[in-house]
Amino acid sequence: MTDIVATDRPPEGAAEKVADFRPSLIVGEHSLCPGCGEPVALRILLETLQELEIVQRSIGVVGHGCYGSFVRIMDVDVLQCLHGRAPACATGIKRVRPDAAVFTLQGDGDMVNEGLAEVIHAAARGENITCILLNNGVFGDTGGQQTATTVLGQRTKTSLEGRDPAHHGYPIRIADIVSGLEGVGYVARGTVGTPRDVARAKRMIREALESQLAGEGFSLVEILTMCPTGWFVGAPQGPDYMEQSMAREYAPGELRARSAPRGA
Amino acid sequence: MASLWSLTDGQSSAPVEHEVLIAGIGGQGIQLVGKTLALAATLAGQHAMLAPDYGGEMRGGPSQSTVVVGEAPLRALPIVAAVGAAIVMHDRFTGTVPERLRPGGLLLVNSSIVVADPETVGPYTCIELAVIEIAQELGAPAAAGLVMIGAFAGLTGVVQAERLVDAMRTLLPPYRQQHAAANARALEAGWATGAEQRMTVAPT
Amino acid sequence: MSDHPPDAGLELLEGSTAIARSAITAGCRFFAGYPMSPFTSLLESMARLLPDSGGVCINAESEIEGVNMALGASAAGARAATGSCGQGIALMQEAIAETALNETPLVIFNMARNQQDYFQCTRGGGWGDYRTLTLAPKDIPEAVKHTQLLFHLADAYRIPTILYGDPLIAQTRIGVRIERLDLPQLPAKDWALDGSRGGTGHSRQVWTWAMGKTTEPGPGPDRHWQAIAEKFERVAAAEQRYESFRVADADTVVVAFGSAAKFTAHVVEELRAGGYRIGHFRPVTLWPFPGEALARATAGARNVLVFELNAGQMIDDVRQHAADRSAVRAIGGVSIHESGLSYGPLLDVPVIRERILAGMSGEPRTGTPVHDLARSLL
Repeated sequence: MTDIVATDRPPEGAAEKVADFRPSLIVGEHSLCPGCGEPVALRILLETLQELEIVQRSIGVVGHGCYGSFVRIMDVDVLQCLHGRAPACATGIKRVRPDAAVFTLQGDGDMVNEGLAEVIHAAARGENITCILLNNGVFGDTGGQQTATTVLGQRTKTSLEGRDPAHHGYPIRIADIVSGLEGVGYVARGTVGTPRDVARAKRMIREALESQLAGEGFSLVEILTMCPTGWFVGAPQGPDYMEQSMAREYAPGELRARSAPRGA
Repeated sequence: MASLWSLTDGQSSAPVEHEVLIAGIGGQGIQLVGKTLALAATLAGQHAMLAPDYGGEMRGGPSQSTVVVGEAPLRALPIVAAVGAAIVMHDRFTGTVPERLRPGGLLLVNSSIVVADPETVGPYTCIELAVIEIAQELGAPAAAGLVMIGAFAGLTGVVQAERLVDAMRTLLPPYRQQHAAANARALEAGWATGAEQRMTVAPT
Repeated sequence: MSDHPPDAGLELLEGSTAIARSAITAGCRFFAGYPMSPFTSLLESMARLLPDSGGVCINAESEIEGVNMALGASAAGARAATGSCGQGIALMQEAIAETALNETPLVIFNMARNQQDYFQCTRGGGWGDYRTLTLAPKDIPEAVKHTQLLFHLADAYRIPTILYGDPLIAQTRIGVRIERLDLPQLPAKDWALDGSRGGTGHSRQVWTWAMGKTTEPGPGPDRHWQAIAEKFERVAAAEQRYESFRVADADTVVVAFGSAAKFTAHVVEELRAGGYRIGHFRPVTLWPFPGEALARATAGARNVLVFELNAGQMIDDVRQHAADRSAVRAIGGVSIHESGLSYGPLLDVPVIRERILAGMSGEPRTGTPVHDLARSLL
């Protein structure tokens, strides 16, 4: 236990930094917008790798988006791959290194627009990889255009009056689709809007990676992340806005728990 | 042996190569017959080539197979411009035999169903064999093609019957193994018939 | 009676099978592809043979997935390959360029339907300043050797490499022996991703932009892509391959690549024996094109006859390097089998012989090449 520190006189020793609460696997500052949820997701992913003690067999495949710059600050072996193709690259890696813990990090534009075929085929094939979807319903890196997951009514640079099904169709709930495929071991959806949600999302990541390591098949963790810039809201409004918009369309929870019977 | 029927006409210093073009229709086992000869030659330590063919339907459409056999690495091209020997198994399809078979070349005709019109076959050294009847007599009704290829081998001496039988056994899929013995008889009988004819046919 | 003893080591193999066996002999342990004739037999051969050698073959759900799987496997340190033909290779271009720019070795088997893929193999179609080292074998025994050489060169330089095959190579069966080539040992792939340096501050990164990590900065796109360009210049200088014969005193030189070159060589030998002063030049590497060798081979030739089964692709490279550009003429052309899947009637010795003879006598060519048309308008 710590000693009671007297406050009627200056402390005796020099100040020393005990922790800056940054995981040691994050080795630099990110350059993303204030209020962005993606760095939070990165953090809970890397913390989980450490807690599972699999850092030195982890290999990440990172797609294209704002999170793409994470390849500069994550101290694990990474491949930065073509837009949408991460599940295919991850398949190649895992097949030749079956003992590795292989994960992808992809945005919604990457996975659900460009890479829709890749993620579904990898899931159906039962590839033992963990795909992590950072879903903020916009193409953030290119300035905020509509993606396949943009919710109805959301304004984006290519749907300025709000997504209207008559013109722009409907969003795709990829986690729901994937959870119905054979070959899948675990699918869950979380958010990083509140501390409690962050903790839940982190547990989902852990479940997914454990599922992979147990050889149970494909795992997907979708994490709803705030994008105040893309949503045209202030940083502090991000979490609330996400509750009202994204979380209404994309219900958090486990869509396919581990050891669920196939076809359930 | 049989240098008249080889690619190396006019190039007497080069190693001998035999080409044979086998034409028939789908269902007669033309591809299998070509493969059997090529594999038999390979098993005998010779160099063989089986050219690709693009016939369409599985049954009834044209089917053609070209095999080249030689004692040294082959100079033959994968599309064989001229052949020294040809086998015609069906009257409905003679393939490219008329364009490719060299004058004076060896022409083996399945006389069970093909009528060898003297004017058409005049330029060639034509031998007619009723291979379907021979096959039926041997209790191997589906093996007419094997009788024919056996005859070709016996006639030209290109491979021994044992090698053809070895090749046939290797190529026979598991669900057809019950035909192995009958096929062997067909090959051996064909070879014997061809060997007999060898005495009566002299390259001109 | 014969001075050729029987060769007991031969196996009668379809070209696709021979190539698959050669790839496995070279250490290929990952293959992914999508069926497309005549590449399909190679995919099937790999599916049949790779697992017994401890490798993995995936029938990918698209060409794009196939090439990206192979990229991933290669980034993780395995000898990996993919393949397709024609339009399927077109789908893969983005990833092929990616392997050049992120320095992931890759072997791509373009079992083409004909010779219309020359531009695609030599001019690319992916993004950036990159090249694809392409070998065009003339027959199956050469394809067997080239296969192993390509895995070696891909690893040695960390580049994408292409084998330009065709239906004749894919589907002909010949007696062949698969022997391991004696190639120099290469250093271990220290750059390959295996996870082991996670958390050490020295973890690995495979990235086209090569910015590195804050702990170990990389050169960044500017210096990295310049370095890649310089690397391809070194490859160009060191890896040109060609074959030529009877060019020293030739009045006419015939230039051809791939299977077609075996046909033209056959005719040229015949014509030479018949007294014509004719020679033959065959680029073996389509890129790097053996330009200097071609210049030497065509010095003094009045006719440089380019036979290719397309509307004129390699001829651009021939014109660029031939000693006398005005001597260069096209004697080939588009020629497709009625099935669409292989060569048409032009690939045949008698037709080729006519074309060469006409080319030597200066008779009118078939069609006017665009370059000549432009010149005639000046």
